[in-house]
Amino acid sequence: MTTTNYDPRILKAPHPVPGAPDNWKRFFSFNTDAKVIGIQYIATALFFLLVGGLLAMIVRGELITPPADLVDPSVYNGLYTMHGTVMLFLFLFPILNGFNNLLIPTMIGAPDMAFPKLNAIAFWLVPLFAVVLMGSFFAPGGPASSGWWSYPPMSLQNPLNHFINGQFLWILAVALSGISSIMGAVNFVTTIIRMRAPGMGFFKMPIFVWTAWAAQTIQLVGLPALTGGAVMLLFDLSFGTSFFRPEGGGDPVLFQHFFWFYSHPAVYVLVLPVFGIFSELFPVYARKPLFGYRFVAIASFGITFLSLIVWVHHMFYSGTPMWMRNLFMATTMLIAVPTGVKVFAWLGTLWKGNLRLSTPMLFCLGGLFNFIFAGITGVMLATVPIDVHVGNTYFVVAHFHYVIFNTIGFGVFAGIYHWFPKFTGRMYYEGLGKVHFALTFIGATLNWLPLHWAGLLGMPRRVASYDPEFAIWNVIASIGAFMLGVASIPFILNMVSSWARGPQAPPNPWRAIGLEWLLPSPPPAENFEDDIPTVISEPYGYGLGHPLVEDEAFYVRRSEEA
Amino acid sequence: MTSVNPDLQLNHTPGHVKHDGHNMTGFVIFLCSESVIFLAFFAGYAVLKLTAPQWLPDGVEGLEVRMPLINSIVLVSSSFVAYAAERYLHKGNLWGFRAVWLLTMAMGSYFVYGQYIEWSELTFSLTSGVFGGMFYLLTGFHGLHVITGILLMGLMLARSFVPGNYDKGEMGVASVSLFWHFVDVIWILLFLLIYVWQ
Amino acid sequence: MTSTAPKNGPNIGAIVIIGIAVVINLVIAKMMATWSYSWFPPQASSAAPYVDDLFALETGIGSFIFFGCTGFLGWVLLFNRAGKYDESDGAPIEGNTKLEITWTVIPLILVFAIAFTSMKVNDTLNALGPKQKYAIGADTNALIQADPSAQVGPIQVIARQWSWEFIYPNGVRSSELHLPIDQRVNLQLQSEDVIHSFYVPAFRLKQDIVPGSLISYSLTPTRPGRYRLRDAMFSGAYMSVNQSNVIVESEEAYSDWLKRTAKQSLQPGLDPGRELYDRRIARGDKGWATVPPAPAPLVNDPGDPSLPHDA
Repeated sequence: MTTTNYDPRILKAPHPVPGAPDNWKRFFSFNTDAKVIGIQYIATALFFLLVGGLLAMIVRGELITPPADLVDPSVYNGLYTMHGTVMLFLFLFPILNGFNNLLIPTMIGAPDMAFPKLNAIAFWLVPLFAVVLMGSFFAPGGPASSGWWSYPPMSLQNPLNHFINGQFLWILAVALSGISSIMGAVNFVTTIIRMRAPGMGFFKMPIFVWTAWAAQTIQLVGLPALTGGAVMLLFDLSFGTSFFRPEGGGDPVLFQHFFWFYSHPAVYVLVLPVFGIFSELFPVYARKPLFGYRFVAIASFGITFLSLIVWVHHMFYSGTPMWMRNLFMATTMLIAVPTGVKVFAWLGTLWKGNLRLSTPMLFCLGGLFNFIFAGITGVMLATVPIDVHVGNTYFVVAHFHYVIFNTIGFGVFAGIYHWFPKFTGRMYYEGLGKVHFALTFIGATLNWLPLHWAGLLGMPRRVASYDPEFAIWNVIASIGAFMLGVASIPFILNMVSSWARGPQAPPNPWRAIGLEWLLPSPPPAENFEDDIPTVISEPYGYGLGHPLVEDEAFYVRRSEEA
Repeated sequence: MTSVNPDLQLNHTPGHVKHDGHNMTGFVIFLCSESVIFLAFFAGYAVLKLTAPQWLPDGVEGLEVRMPLINSIVLVSSSFVAYAAERYLHKGNLWGFRAVWLLTMAMGSYFVYGQYIEWSELTFSLTSGVFGGMFYLLTGFHGLHVITGILLMGLMLARSFVPGNYDKGEMGVASVSLFWHFVDVIWILLFLLIYVWQ
Repeated sequence: MTSTAPKNGPNIGAIVIIGIAVVINLVIAKMMATWSYSWFPPQASSAAPYVDDLFALETGIGSFIFFGCTGFLGWVLLFNRAGKYDESDGAPIEGNTKLEITWTVIPLILVFAIAFTSMKVNDTLNALGPKQKYAIGADTNALIQADPSAQVGPIQVIARQWSWEFIYPNGVRSSELHLPIDQRVNLQLQSEDVIHSFYVPAFRLKQDIVPGSLISYSLTPTRPGRYRLRDAMFSGAYMSVNQSNVIVESEEAYSDWLKRTAKQSLQPGLDPGRELYDRRIARGDKGWATVPPAPAPLVNDPGDPSLPHDA
């Protein structure tokens, strides 16, 4: 590989760029280029997807038979707690920050993030708190074992009475994660508000940027409440206070309010960027404009606002009075509306399109299909009398995995495949991608669809053993789970071998419309550098015949010559 | 938008972007987020006060208000003093800035000292039921922010001795000043919540 | 903006196909709604029909939406696929404001209708009573306020890590909950350690039990049988086995049992966590940290966990 493919000015820069030869070391360094940081986030997250997945395999191995015969129940509790914690804080939040880093500057024509050093610090906090969290497996008494919610008084029991215990380390890790996320949020929001290309007003921004902005706003408003609750929990655990201990006059339900005030909006932080990914990909693979772009854009912030006033729906049978349950049922029902707007917009986008079923499109279609189902069970859960029956059962577990894995996970895979050529400079192997999709779709459906019925029949969640009448659902579910484990093989194989030796990717392999596709694959260190295009059209102009930017031919030529 | 000039050198390290005032935007966003953690604690305080079976620990009837009120007046006034310091800097009067800025730091330190004295004279501790916990958590967390503010002010003061440091703008001082005002507003709310609403 | 080919009047073919599809969808939705009743345990309380009816309604509406959308998706996948070498664009439709408003307003009306119906159900069931916080050490017996609308009780329900204890108004203590059929019973829920949850799937009712609070909860069983009571809030190592049974029987059988049991002497009650914990200790206390189980409650009737349950 000679160096003549690269813009000579780039090679003079002290910071090497993605794709240039002998540069793999930069991914292990403190590098302030958002595109490097993005890859660092994604690679770290995918590693922890495998860790969380391994924990899940043990959980499903335990649950394939009614008695608790695989691991000790206390160990089971630690495993499922860490499964949830790892998947959320070490896989999902980091990988979405990875997408933000790669896509926000390139999609808005900015050279980098507003605060590049802060960006790098935010990333390096992730391996740090990962060490703290993984290290908690070796703490005396084992890791945190009260579920990822850590409800007191259960989480305060500290049976071995050690100061440094699994729960303590868990709280520390989550606090560090919060600091990292806030740093990221400040960065992403400032970048979006202040560094857009000339001509890119808010209603010319791609939907991914809208949803990223909406999601990061939620982080800014909601995370501090979790931090507050976590600080109080830590004080109760380690310093003898009684905020949540009834013996000292405290209120365990107060913690639930603090916790869910953030953690409900948190799920929208996770799903909004994936809505953004769907909104980006459907137009490309159907070759049609996004249906109702403005409604979809505004609905993103509609979801942001509504997400902050629904949290008590996680406490419908907890220690809450009936008037509160009724109020939050009403607000929760409302949030179905902007979500529905997006779903119908995607369907409208596909109608009369010219569909190409590449791997990214398959994952988007599968994700949309699953999300419609998940949305319906969501409305059921918002209905108080129904939630009183199915709450804290496998119905809820099935619902949220349908959202988190079958929708968000699918969207993440779709985004990885779609933008893989752009940011690595290589094409992935399409055949392996389709195998990954097939195994994932079937495995995910087998894993979580049957569990709805287990929940309706009354199987509680977080149990290591269960009554024999629930066995059939659990056997099917476990088979699906093992299939998902196997599905990770073609995926990882594809990622590694494609990046190492896949065919070179052109600047715009999908013939997509967007600023990032006017850059070489991979883009140089400061993207458009000094020569940022002026945006003249709304995004997704497929079939409308007008260019996205002024002098578009020049930028296309420049991306191909690099 | 013509062809790229091949002689144009990248004269800065990639990743270093001209900031153009992004810092203030970022800082304001950060402060808005930080205020939520205090609001969360305030909400927790109010809920516990209204619903705990026993709010005040045995033997405690309430908080003394006079000394904290004096401390509060000093702290809130220091915001105006900080503003005056900013004006001096804006007019280019570096020694005026340094003197008044130092005064602000002194007033802030007096507040911290006053808080320490108040703490040492209290008859209840962090573990004295819900009231004890919330009181020390709120005032302690706020106090940490005051100390941070004083340290940041010290940093700005030291930087004012670097020649030409403020030629490009007073962003640092403006940010720290804003942080100081934020800390003061939080204290006013805290004072109303804890000392006035008893 | 939107460009569609000029039409010569309404497309009859499309209307017929859509009409048939909608009718088929409605039929399937109705079938799903009816089928959904069989997904539940038997209805054993006055709350169950309301819950099952609401769920059937939502299953019906949900099915209609799901099959409608996925049917639409299927159609698109069948008829809008690009040929292998076809790189042309699709129809350049950017939106349709009337349609967008419609699909915002109709779901809004629908979800609010469901919410209001549910509020009426909550009102009718009136299961949740007052929750009183108490200072530790206070005598909870003194706090008990009977539900005036309940004919039976108040029965104290004490949840522990990992056992259940029921104390009847006449002083009888048992490990299984006996209830007379068709009478509203008031329960007083308390926990001695962490948050537990009183969940009887056959009743469709669940209420968390919060330590430091006394929660009044009332219900009316409507079907005789033996139903599982499960602890539905994660409460530690042996939470999975923290189960008991609710026995719904006739008024006479219930009074009989009360009188009979009052004469039995106190003995250790159902304590499922203890056996597992002892086994763990015997194997060298291997495993991650857990508190030891609370001592078994002393009861007059320890129940019979070997008997089969109906749901």
